[in-house]
Amino acid sequence: MKTFETIDISGDAGINAYGETVEDVFVNAAIGMYSLITDLNGIKEMKEVQVKAESHSLEGLIVSWLNELVFLFDAFGFVGKRIIIKTFGDYRITAVVRGEDFDPDRHERRLLIKAATYHQLSIAEEKGLWTARVIFDI
Amino acid sequence: MGVLHSEIPSGVGSKGKIRLSPQDERRLLTSGARWAVENGYGEASDLERIESGGYIEGADPELISQKAYERGRAQQGTLGSGNHFLEIQYVDEIYDEKAAQALGLFRDQMTVMIHTGSRGFGHQVCTDFLEVMERAVSKYGIELPDKELACAPFNSPEARDYLAAMRAAANYAWANRQCIMHWAREAFLRVFAATPKDLGMGLIYDVAHNIAKVEDHIVDGKNMKLIVHRKGATRAFPPGHPELPAAYGKTGQPVLIPGDMGRASFVLIGTEKAMQETFGSTCHGAGRMMSRHQAIRRAKGRAIWREMEDKGIIVRSAGRETLAEEMPEAYKDITNVVDVVHNAGISRKVARLRPMGVIKG
Repeated sequence: MKTFETIDISGDAGINAYGETVEDVFVNAAIGMYSLITDLNGIKEMKEVQVKAESHSLEGLIVSWLNELVFLFDAFGFVGKRIIIKTFGDYRITAVVRGEDFDPDRHERRLLIKAATYHQLSIAEEKGLWTARVIFDI
Repeated sequence: MGVLHSEIPSGVGSKGKIRLSPQDERRLLTSGARWAVENGYGEASDLERIESGGYIEGADPELISQKAYERGRAQQGTLGSGNHFLEIQYVDEIYDEKAAQALGLFRDQMTVMIHTGSRGFGHQVCTDFLEVMERAVSKYGIELPDKELACAPFNSPEARDYLAAMRAAANYAWANRQCIMHWAREAFLRVFAATPKDLGMGLIYDVAHNIAKVEDHIVDGKNMKLIVHRKGATRAFPPGHPELPAAYGKTGQPVLIPGDMGRASFVLIGTEKAMQETFGSTCHGAGRMMSRHQAIRRAKGRAIWREMEDKGIIVRSAGRETLAEEMPEAYKDITNVVDVVHNAGISRKVARLRPMGVIKG
């Protein structure tokens, strides 16, 4: 099964993420976003970061979750490669993200993502397949 | 170009070289470019040619989240990525001799144009306040047609706090551009082994172009205080406007309209008609013609940097994809765009600048 694909948006960048569960779609959206930033094949699982996010809707939660990861990249250079969700429910998520700090000399520079946005945002389940669409400000 | 590229951090994951104490961080957020000048980045006379003297009043560092401080810390003094750039250009055409003289522009003169802003700091302020605004929308019973929109009544505590935080981000951006301009000057001084006086690298103008400002405008014949948010637009105040610096009081506000990296950029001046018709605003760039993906597809198998070099333009870029996305044909022809605003009378052409060297993040 395809886990995510990038979508063509004039002036911005976006992804469709897929998953059999809502948790999977959160993981795949994050991996999809990281793939816009760099080539994940070059990222090693060298350190572990605890991440939590909360909101009052599922849409709000996926935006908060991705923005938390954007923050970790932008402030500390951390890029995740593997994500393990620890708890999920009541519009709260806690997760462990494994990856390493971005090194411009070793890692491919792709897009500088500034934020996940509410623009054309959707997250829904249909016939057992969860799909999330997220557009990023770059 | 090599010196500029190594002196000015740019691109995904680049880190700035400025390290600030907590007191300095706060002072920077309230004083903008004035902080930069006080700390040795540039000249006091630069401030006379920056919108509102290089900082906006009413910024409150207390309203800035820890996260925004953390994001801002690593990025002060960095150019960024995407459409942010630093260009070395030359003046190849003057349309208005008198205005050009007032701005200090003449044919075959070399110019440097810098396009960057508040970086991740400003974005974190936005992310933080989206949550506040989301709560405000339900608190004040506002119905919005699109979930991408967010707002609060102007006099509410939420809006007051947001404006004070946004102003801190604007000041961060002014300080950022001032530091980068300073390093650009230093690079030129070093390469040409010249004195600042011989080099004569004076600032023409520095303006914020994604900002909400409280301004006086005439609406239906009445003086009104409005909040004008310019996004994808830039300010174009006419001669005689009280907010203009003394040097440009008679000429009007310099308007900088960057094009793509292969064709041209323009300097214009603001007009009375802009005040009447567009709340003192004009366009701020060429606008994209292709999506980023289309541009990357179109650039496959091509060496964009070499195509540029064949045209006599040296390009330094941190990311291969950035260069593809930013290639000239991805943008509308700036000459046509500028002719539209010139013919509409909402700003007037003064000079055309051709690129010689480009740094893209």
